[in-house]
Amino acid sequence: MTKTIQRELILPQPPAEVWQALTDPATLAQWMFPNDFEPRIGHRFTFRVPPNPQVNFEGLTVRCEVLECDPPRKLAFSWSAGGAVENTTVSYRLEPEGRGTRLFFEHSGFEITQAFGEQAFKGAEYGWARMHKQLASTLAAASASNGSDL
Amino acid sequence: MVANSRQPDVFSAIAHPARRHILDLLGKEDRSVNAMAGHFNMSRPAVSQHLKILLDAGLVSEQRHGRERRYHLLPDQLTPVRDWLAQYERFWDDRLHRLQTLLAKRSKP
Repeated sequence: MTKTIQRELILPQPPAEVWQALTDPATLAQWMFPNDFEPRIGHRFTFRVPPNPQVNFEGLTVRCEVLECDPPRKLAFSWSAGGAVENTTVSYRLEPEGRGTRLFFEHSGFEITQAFGEQAFKGAEYGWARMHKQLASTLAAASASNGSDL
Repeated sequence: MVANSRQPDVFSAIAHPARRHILDLLGKEDRSVNAMAGHFNMSRPAVSQHLKILLDAGLVSEQRHGRERRYHLLPDQLTPVRDWLAQYERFWDDRLHRLQTLLAKRSKP
């Protein structure tokens, strides 16, 4: 069994602008991590996740390869970070939504056992539902304060 | 995110496809090594080796039934995996929020 993380966002910016934020290495570094991304199929790149001594995290290099690149509609790359996260796939699909963009995000391919899926997942879904509520209130608070935390 | 180094045993235990398959089989019912070996293209000792790793990680327990040992899944031990996946969800929620905030800032004059 594999597990997929999915999100859907409505953004007021047009697809071209969103595409630029997803594919320009300098912009990408601002909301993701330092990287050597290039928007062409087959390009191998890394995200360098910096260490965080406060939570005992020693840093990490995520190995990626561009799998799909269809500006400004679809971007997909592999994501290998070790352990249970080898050859997972991150993808973004952009659709025009009025003057803005509907962004479909997906991170798929987490290898989880059936046993885990059937017996231990209910608790997890409860946890995620709770987290989504937290996210919604975080976003509401952020937009109220004009999102000055970046 | 991805702080899987905190629970190395459980994570390395489920990293191998054969061991995930064993856990799937045991999720249906308790089984002996012989009962499981038929499901694999590998020798009985090889299956036993994988079981040993699952036992060491605490994902499986062993019970004697007469002359046979049967193995039983302990799904609660997968909690670190679940927690870690939840961390990954939080990670993406955080990153996508940053993306939204960045775009909002940039599109202002």
